[in-house]
Parts: sequence; C-alpha cells; structure tokens
Amino acid sequence: MELEKFNYDNKSVKWFAYATIFWGLVGMLAGLLAALQLVFPVLNLELPYTTFGRVRPVHTNAVIFAFVGNGIFMGVYYSLQRLLKTRMFSDFLSKVHFWGWQLIIVLAAVTLFMGYTTGKEYAELEWPIDILITLVWVVFGWNMFGTIIRRRERHLYVAIWFYIATFATVAMLHIVNSIEIPVSFWKSYSWYAGVQDALVQWWYGHNAVAFFLTTPYLGLMYYFIPKAAGRPVYSYRLSIIHFWALIFIYIWAGPHHLLYTAVPDWAQSLGVVFSIMLIAPSWGGMINGLLTLRGAWDKVREDVVLKFLVVAITAYGMATFEGPMLSLKGVNAISHFTDWTIAHVHVGALGWNGFLTFGILYWLIPRMFRTKLYSPKLANAHFWIGTLGIILYAVPLYWAGIMQSLMWKEFTPEGQLKWQFMDTVTKMAPFYAARAVGGMLYLTGAIMMTYNLIKTIKVGSFLADEPAEAPALSNEYHGHKNDHWHRWIERKPVQLMVVSLIVVAIGGIIEFVPTFLVKSNIPTISSVKPYTPLELQGRDIYVREGCYTCHSQMVRPFRSETSRYGEYSKAGEFVYDHPFQWGSKRTGPDLARLGGKYPDSWHYNHMMDPTSMSPNSIMPPYPWLLEDKIDVSSTVAKIKAMKRLGVPYPEGYENVAAQDMEKQAGEISASLKKDGVETPSDREIIALIAYLQRLGKDIKTADKKETSSN
Amino acid sequence: MKSKLHKYAVWFNAFMLLPLINFAQGTQASSTSTYFSNALFLAMLAVITILLIVIVALTQALKNIGQSDYLLRRDENDKNSGTKIAATLFILFTVFSANAQTHNAKQDWIIGGLDMFTFYFMLGIIVLEGIVLTSLLLTLRKLLESKRTAPIVAKPKEKTILSVLSGAVEIENEAEIMLDHDYDGIKELDNDLPPWWKYGFYLTIVVAFIYMIHFHIAKTGDLQRVEYAKEIEKARVDVAEYMKNAASNVDETSVKMLEGADIEAGKNIFVSTCAACHGKFGEGGVGPNLTDNYWINGGSISSIFKTVKYGWPDKGMKSWKDELSPMQIAQVSSFIKTLKGTNPPNPKAQQGDLFVEEGNAPITDSLSLPNDSLQALIKDTIKTIAPGTKTK
Repeated sequence: MELEKFNYDNKSVKWFAYATIFWGLVGMLAGLLAALQLVFPVLNLELPYTTFGRVRPVHTNAVIFAFVGNGIFMGVYYSLQRLLKTRMFSDFLSKVHFWGWQLIIVLAAVTLFMGYTTGKEYAELEWPIDILITLVWVVFGWNMFGTIIRRRERHLYVAIWFYIATFATVAMLHIVNSIEIPVSFWKSYSWYAGVQDALVQWWYGHNAVAFFLTTPYLGLMYYFIPKAAGRPVYSYRLSIIHFWALIFIYIWAGPHHLLYTAVPDWAQSLGVVFSIMLIAPSWGGMINGLLTLRGAWDKVREDVVLKFLVVAITAYGMATFEGPMLSLKGVNAISHFTDWTIAHVHVGALGWNGFLTFGILYWLIPRMFRTKLYSPKLANAHFWIGTLGIILYAVPLYWAGIMQSLMWKEFTPEGQLKWQFMDTVTKMAPFYAARAVGGMLYLTGAIMMTYNLIKTIKVGSFLADEPAEAPALSNEYHGHKNDHWHRWIERKPVQLMVVSLIVVAIGGIIEFVPTFLVKSNIPTISSVKPYTPLELQGRDIYVREGCYTCHSQMVRPFRSETSRYGEYSKAGEFVYDHPFQWGSKRTGPDLARLGGKYPDSWHYNHMMDPTSMSPNSIMPPYPWLLEDKIDVSSTVAKIKAMKRLGVPYPEGYENVAAQDMEKQAGEISASLKKDGVETPSDREIIALIAYLQRLGKDIKTADKKETSSN
Repeated sequence: MKSKLHKYAVWFNAFMLLPLINFAQGTQASSTSTYFSNALFLAMLAVITILLIVIVALTQALKNIGQSDYLLRRDENDKNSGTKIAATLFILFTVFSANAQTHNAKQDWIIGGLDMFTFYFMLGIIVLEGIVLTSLLLTLRKLLESKRTAPIVAKPKEKTILSVLSGAVEIENEAEIMLDHDYDGIKELDNDLPPWWKYGFYLTIVVAFIYMIHFHIAKTGDLQRVEYAKEIEKARVDVAEYMKNAASNVDETSVKMLEGADIEAGKNIFVSTCAACHGKFGEGGVGPNLTDNYWINGGSISSIFKTVKYGWPDKGMKSWKDELSPMQIAQVSSFIKTLKGTNPPNPKAQQGDLFVEEGNAPITDSLSLPNDSLQALIKDTIKTIAPGTKTK
C-alpha cells in the first residue's frame, strides 16, 4: 500500500497550550483572592467588581472553561491528529475555534466582573455569550468531525469515543440549561422556575463536571498515559464497558445536589442510586489508567510526567469514590452547604484536572519544541509543592466543613440551638487561612512550571508542521473473524455520536418530563404571589451581586434548620423564581425565611457595614447600593418578560408597575426614616430591602393563620 | 458444573443483604429509620458488604485457579465451598430470625444505639465472614504454594493474591492477549475485567434496586417528611423529659428578676446578641431604646422575657427561643431591667407607653392602668387578633 505524506498541525496545539497556562494562572489567582477574602474581608476592597460574589464566579468560570477548556482543546488537537493519522480538518476552523474561545473567556471575565450574570452556577454567562459559546462549540465539533472523516485509521481509539461523547453531551447540556428570555442585551431570565430550574441547573452542573472535567480528560488520559509510559492499555474490554456505563449513568446523578430540598423524593432517590452505581464505571477509568502502568512503575519513580499523571488518576479515584458517598442522604445531610463540598471538588480540580494538565504540558512542550525540558529538577519541585498544596487545601476544609455542620446541628438539652450562626463562622478563620496557604503553594507550583516551560521554549525550536506518513484508508473493509462486536461502532463515528447522544439523553428525559408535566410534583400554594416590581428589581440586584455564592434559600426538613431559619421550604414557594436561588453553600446563613426577621433599618446598616449589625461578620460591605439609583427604565421589559414566562401579572400591569414601585419604595423609605435613616426612595438599597423583606413571607402569613386559629 | 455452583454461591451471598434489610424492617417496624440513621448499624453494614465483596472476589479467584488441572484432581468436597458458606450463613440467619421473636421484648438491651439482638446478629455475620475469608485465603495460599512447588507448573513467577484479585494476565504472557490494535503506537491488551470490580458493579446495581424498592415501591423507608416529623417528635419528648428535672426551667409566667452573677451573664448575652440593634448601652438604634421608661410591648420582667422569647416578628424583633435557653432569656431580661435610667449618650427617642412597675402608684400618667402585666396582656391580645398591622 502506498504511503501518503502529510503534516500534523502543532501550531494550534501550541496556542491552546499557551492559553491553558495563562488562564490557569489567572483562574488560580482569582481563586486565591476569593480564598483570602474569606479570611480578610477587607480584600473585598469595597468595590462592586472585586467583592466575593463576583470574584467567585470569575474563578470558577476561569478554571473550568478557560484553564481546563483550553487544556481539553490542547490535548484533543494533539492526540486526535495522531490517533487518526491526519492533519486537523481545517487550519482556518482551528483558528476560529481558538480565537473564538479566547474571546468568550475575555467577555466572560469582563461581564462577570460587571455583574452581568444569570445567577446559575457554572452557567452564569448571559445570553449573547451563551450563543457565542454554542457557535464556537459547533466550530470545534465541525473541525473534529471533519478530521475524523478524513482519517487514515479505520477504527476510533477509546480516547476519541470520549471526545465524541463530550462534544455531543456538552452541546445538549449547554443548550437545554441556557434557555432563557432576554430582557435586554445583558439581562435574561431563565425559562425554568424554582424546582424545575433547580433540576435542570444541577443536571447541567453535575454533568459539566462529568462531560467537561471528566470525559475529555479520560480521553486525554487514554492517550498520554500509554504514550508516556510506553505500555499497552490494560484492558480493551474494560474501556468499552466503563465508557458506556459512565456516560449512561453519569447523567442521572444530578439530583444528588438537591437532596433534602423541595425536589420530589423520587428524583432525589434516582440521584442517590445512580451515584452509587457510578462508582464502578468511574473506577474503571482509574483502573485502566493505573494498571496500564504495570511494568512501568520504575519509570514512574524517575519520570516527572508520569508522577503527575499517577497523582491525577489517584485523585480522580478518590474524588469519584467520595462523590457517591456524599450522595448518600445521611452523609449529604452533613456535607451539603459546607466546605466539605469545596474540598471535594478541589481534589478533583487540583488533583485530576490540574495535575493531568501539568503532566501533559511537561510532555508536549519539549516534544513540539524538539528539546529537553529545561529543568526536570524544577518540575519535580513543582510536583511536590503542588501535591503539598492539594493536601493543605483539602484537609483543613474537610475538617472545617464537618465541624461547622455539626455545630449547626447541635442542640442543648433544653432544646435550644447551641451555636449562633456567627459562632460557627468565627471558628472557620484558621481553616480558611490554611486553605489559602494550600492554594498559594499550588499556584506557586504553577508559576514554577510556567518559568520552566518558557525556558524550555526559549532553547527549543518549534516544529509547526510535523511530518508524518500513513497509507490511505481503502474503501473496502474486511473485518477479522474474531473481532469484538464493538469494533463495528468504532468504524462509524456518526453512529457512535448518535448512540452516545441517545444514551446520555435518557436520564435527563426521565427525570425532567414528570417534573414538568405532573402537577403533583410541585403542589401549588395559593398564598404564593408574584414579586412586586420593586421586589423584582431587588431580586435582580441580589442575583447581580452573587449573593447566592454564600447564601442559600432552601431550608431543609431538619430540626436544626427549622429551629434556626423557620418552616422548611416547599416546592410551591418557588414557582415565580426565574432563576431559582437555592444556592449550594452557606458561608452565611440561609435566607429563605429572612423576610420580617429584622427591621428595614437593620438591612440598611447591614449592607453599608455588615459588622455594625453582626459583629465578626465576614460579609463584604455594599456601599454602592446606597448611592446607585434603581434602573427604573428596565421595569416594563422585566414585567413583560416575566409575563411571557407565565408569571400571572394582571393584563397591562407593566404600564402601572412604576406607580406600584414608587409607592412601595416610599413606604420603605419612610420606615427607614423612623429609625433615623434618611435615604431617597430611588436607591438600589430600597429595592434590595424590599426583596429581602419578602423572602419566605408568603408562606409565613399562611402559617400565621394556621397558628392563630389554634 | 463447578463454575455454575460458584455462580450460585456468589449470588446467594449477594442476596444475603436482602433479608438483612427486610429483617431490620420487619421486626422493628416502629424504629425503622433509626436503624438506617444509626452510625454503628451503617458501619457494620458497610463492613459486612465489603467483606462480602472480598469473599465473592476471592471465590472467583479460586474458580480461576480451579481451572488449572491441579484443582480438578482435588477431592470433590472442596468444590462447593462457596455453597457451603452460603448455606451456613442461611441456616444461621434463620436461627437468628427465629430468635428474634423471643428477644424482641427485651428492648432495653442497647449497644451503641442498637438493640442487643441486632448487634450480635451483625457481629456474628462479620465474624462468620471473617472465618470464611480466612479459610478462603488459606486455601488460596495452599493452592498457590502447591502450584509453585509442583514441578509441572510452567509459570516461573509467583502468583500473588493481588494479581489473582485483579484477574490480570502476567506481564510476561501479555503477548497472548495483545490485540492487533495500534493507534499512534498505542497497543491494547484485552485483560479480563477485574473480578472485584465486576462484582462490585453488580452489587451497586442490586443495592440501587433494593433502595428504590425500599423507598418507593414497598414504601418501607421513611422519606424526608416522615423523617422530619419523627425527628421533631423525638426532640419534643427528649426536651420535655429533660426539663422535668431541670432547675433552669422558667417561662414567662414564672420568671423572676434575677441578681448578681446572673445579671453579669445577662450582660454578656446582651453585648454579643442584642447590642447590634439596641446599642452598646441599650440606648437604641435599629431597635428601641431600653433605658427609658417607655416600652412598646411592656416593661415588666415577664413582658420582656416574653418579647425576647417569642419576638415581635412584624416589628423586626426576632424570636430567640431557639438560640437562648429559658435561663439565658431570664438573665438577659433581668439585665435589661437594670438599664433603666442609665442615661447613655445618643439615646433613641422614646417609643411605646410609659411603664409603671407593679405596686408603685402612677406618677403622672393617669391613663395608664395600675397593673402593667394586665396592660401588656390587653395589648398582646389586640396584636394577636390583628397581626401585621404594620404598613407594607
């Protein structure tokens, strides 16, 4: 057979590698800032752009979509060409893909700092960026499938199955979760409300972990581990079973983020059991990775690349075992809303994603630059400082999370909660400090790597087009007699994508359809009414400032929570919440029943300086809310959008909304004045107070009728 | 034939978990949820499960070795050890179940939150599993040893227990299972699925079915609302039991003005919890001034106690009964009463009505009723009848 000559495109890989390093440093720096803000609230700088509520989404988006995202593309562009014996389909598409993705990142960073957010975790970006993401993702898929179609290798290697599943599933997740009604260019409301929004959001959130942080990286693992170790993959059979089992089961597990909430019991239980069944498929990947190193463990001792990869796989194994454990209701009752979850995700992020990326970078860069790594010693130091960083990050947070949760739950024999919420916050300081040190060490390691790689690049000479040769694929194919049945689909990329899309769609459909269609899943409560225009404006400020990053709005049915916060949350309370704001973390107390708990002036003072009302508070001050005026011009569009979403405002209400708003604002302003606070009624603080005083009120009045009758 | 037997044994072992759960349900229907919320029970269940997985995996491993001609020569008795184990476990289980009826009455024998029967039953299973495991390991070692010493054995390398567990083909022989795949130099072996992994996977699927049946089909498990109701009821009983004997039990009807150290304790509570709204010296701020003679909800010790305890949520005073004990509320109420006439700087303007201590003659205000508590009572009643009179 005749050999064809062609070149691999290393240039795109190089650019993605540079972007990975750069955004990695940026994302980690943002994380470090957020971590330090919890220890030293003064670092919030009293600026809207730098408060924790905005820094945290910047951090999560930067590390997930910028650092890991570019890492995925770097690894895929490198391995795909070589596994298929062809150049990337189109250099132009590669370029569009690269610059498009970087544009998204820059837009994301700017808008998040500006406070343009949908308020849905890891999907905070507003609708114009959502559309841009969809387009760039299609470019990526187009380029990938074009490459696959032009391949010179008949069968697709397991890494590529993972790439294809990633492409299809992320597209589905992103589109379904981002359905929203635009109000203006930078503001939209989620199509879904309350329980449904929560279910869709965590189906997305959980599977962003699955299909953005896990499956593409498993694909990379399947390429770089055998390459770096020079060993055959341990078990082809295991690859097949764990691939299909993983993508099928993962999708279902989303509701384990919503245990003990107002989500229907059956959905919660599905989340639990699918999480339990997820252990083996996840570990299948770990086993296949680690056992591939059989007979190469002596190399692991020497080779820093392998060291990184081994720790990455180990961290993956730990995190994927811990995940199902956290999904058990008994454990989740303790872990949820605490820093335990934060520790858990960082074992995955720092260990699995971070270390795998570092390992790949140390392997790729010297190869593409045809030289040796500048300093293996420095890389080794990076390995140890990074490992130490992970441990120092995770251990204090595990401790702190469990400690705080147990304090929240502790009662005196007389039946009172033993600890004020603030007592538990004060106890967190040393643990938060230790965590910040861990993060700092990890970042230091990344900086050392950057230096090391820059030095390597300086001495090397870049090979932009790497020559290769392979025979063309003949049109006819004669299979072997004893071929595994799975070989068929490995020859059929389109079928592979369609089948994997069907497999991943099942879980979502079965969980969503009943929640959307069966009325009994969300019993309505007649006393729950739509937000007033002023409250709606206040709610948007709440979303804009990222309050949900520290405050939940979901009282779970535990004695410790109903004693502290009030009646547990019901599904029917959230039917007008576009988007839902249940939150996932309680750095501060739950706010679901905040309404009427404190006077208006308390909130005013508290927003100006939280420590004045709540000594030792680590909440940042929000002085600009006292100065900035409410954007009244947006009210009409907002009410209209809400009406389109099915919120039952009266006919033509948008036209009289302004009067209602003025009236309510006047009342709050007057109540503030009684307590000696002079403030005009057109300030944002007034709207926010209106919203905060509304929280949980609907059901409270209903309760009162009940209690006063007996 | 032989492998079939083993398969039965494996499945039998797996289903041992089923009756265990049913048992926890059946004999103690009323305390179902306490079993599954009991840490010891869960821990023991976990140990049982893990040991079971190991046993199943080892049985599998033995089966693998059994395929060598060595074992075929062994006497028949050894073949169905797995079945034997399962049978033994089953017999023991039935015996224990029978005993359950008689022991049920003696509920007061509690070990670590579990009644004695359950505890020893589970301990028994663990010990049994331990014995089975040890014997399996011994058999395995014997097998491996005899393999090593046997002159006919072709493999020069020692087969470790670990490699048996993983079901892997030795590196030296991996050419046998090397597939003809080659992707950019990456080759693929076709090792068997590690038995412990495979059976672990099966087990999680079985557990998933049992879980769904337990909670949603048989409905034998408590879902969150029932769980919550039980938790609240238990707390109510516990607290009532405790308060029966507690000296610190006071309420708004029995509270008396305290003195000395209690005032000091009240001051500490005031500084940490009340000062934010009522001012450091009680001069008022967000909340009303507590140093003057005017009170919105009554100024007697019992009225203040009541205000702190239940709050006036419509006016922004929160209820403290879940955070402060009755004694602490009495302390802080007494401290507040000592603030009267302290004239701190920046006092907030008076709010509410002039309060006159019971027994004292009215000074100026002829309208105020002589009995403060009566006055407060009337006011409270009005408020209960018409709640939420505040604007907004």
